Amino acid sequence: MRGLTVTYGSTLALEDISLDAPAGASIAVLGPNGAGKSTLLQSIAGLVEVPRGAVTRDGNRGVAYLPQSLAVEPSFPATVADIVEMGRWGDLGPLRRLGPEDRERVRQAIEEMGLAGVAERRIGEVSGGERRRALLAQVIAQDAALILLDEPFTDIDRPTADSARALIRRWAAEGRTVMVATHDLERAATEYDLVLALNRRLVAFGPPSEVCTEECLRETFSGHVVRLGESLFDTAHHHHGAS
Amino acid sequence: MESVLIEPFRDEGVRNGALAAMAVGLLCGTIGCFVVIRGVAMFADSLAHGILPGVAVAILVWSGAEGPPELGLLGFGLTSGLITATATALLLRSGRFRSDTATAVVFVAMLALGVAIFSGAGDDSIELEEALFGDVLDVSGGDLALIAALCGATLVPLAFLYRPFTLAAFNRARATSLGVAVGRVELGMMMLLAVTIVIGFQVFGALLVMGLTIAPPATASLLVSRMPAMIAVSSAIAAVSGPLGLLVSWHLDVAAGASIVLVAVAIFVAVLLLRPSRA
Repeated sequence: MRGLTVTYGSTLALEDISLDAPAGASIAVLGPNGAGKSTLLQSIAGLVEVPRGAVTRDGNRGVAYLPQSLAVEPSFPATVADIVEMGRWGDLGPLRRLGPEDRERVRQAIEEMGLAGVAERRIGEVSGGERRRALLAQVIAQDAALILLDEPFTDIDRPTADSARALIRRWAAEGRTVMVATHDLERAATEYDLVLALNRRLVAFGPPSEVCTEECLRETFSGHVVRLGESLFDTAHHHHGAS
Repeated sequence: MESVLIEPFRDEGVRNGALAAMAVGLLCGTIGCFVVIRGVAMFADSLAHGILPGVAVAILVWSGAEGPPELGLLGFGLTSGLITATATALLLRSGRFRSDTATAVVFVAMLALGVAIFSGAGDDSIELEEALFGDVLDVSGGDLALIAALCGATLVPLAFLYRPFTLAAFNRARATSLGVAVGRVELGMMMLLAVTIVIGFQVFGALLVMGLTIAPPATASLLVSRMPAMIAVSSAIAAVSGPLGLLVSWHLDVAAGASIVLVAVAIFVAVLLLRPSRA
């Protein structure tokens, strides 16, 4: 990613971001609200126009972006299993039917996310946690090389959060690049290979031991960081980080 | 009993009307599912009014006894529909209106423009009424073949839009990330909807064609949980509403197009009342 700059109207959302995201790494994208975390992920996914700069990728196995909001109408005519199956549609195109391998991949994704019991229920009628897991299963089925998750731990139950964490580790181990927008300082420091500290511009990017210093985080969160015992807390968002 | 059901269809006009209504119903009931899952019923209704000025101009241009040829109607109707959609999109992009306001402003403008052009064409009352409410019982054998062929031809590109549009209706960001060009897919669907309205308006009129596009999918969504089943149930309801409506129209001596739409709505109400809530 080279010299990425994104603006909304006259507001600068991101300024001159340059970084190399290696394959097989889990990357926490850390920053306060309005830091441009979502915008960065959406720029990489090709969802927002990038007036300056460029995003380049090795290979063409695709990008899977999972937005923060998964709101859906209760009447939307698709079961949880249908939603997972949609993950294969990108590769299959508009008409080709699912082959045995596609079906097996869908079945495994449903199994892995613990959705077998709700697979035949409407996506609009399951709980928020189940819906989040259905979308994560859809991303599993998509089989992308670069996976971008926007605040996947917001408003979900414990089992869903645990399975999402296990999934992020597995994806990285499989050689995929996983970028996760979060404002959970503690977990960013302990659970990811790399941390990207963002506040409209790139504050720091590297292993947690280098990035998660008090000085760097103070700069990222514009002073809203206090030291409590052994760990650093971001006062503006500590309620999300509690565990 | 048998004669009550069969007798009306001994009349060739009723028979042609029933078959044309079935063909248009199949198409409306299918494309209506996409309209309903995307939540754009109001916009679809606006598009139905939006084709009126185009149709009026076509009738002005070909003012001879034969009336405008099918392709002429399609061309002018589509252009008019595109103007409606573009005007709505521009108003929305300005960010100064809610979407229902932008949609409604454009649709009343197009309706008024349509009525004005019709009135300029002279013998306005008959043609305007036909454009708004159609004439199911005035379908010739040639019209019927053409309408059926156009309905079939419209279902083909619709099949190609099934997956991309369903993805986009579910979640635009996920759709883009799965390789769907969301803007182009939605434009394509809008054009197919405009084509459907132009085909359907000749049978049902611009206003009543929306009845078969919205009521059957709404009914189907009460009965089934998956898109393929919804399309099957919806198109079946829309298709049977044609002949059933004509029977009602024959025996009660009420307007044919309105009877067909009322049958579709009656099925909706019956399902709504009889089907226990899913929750």
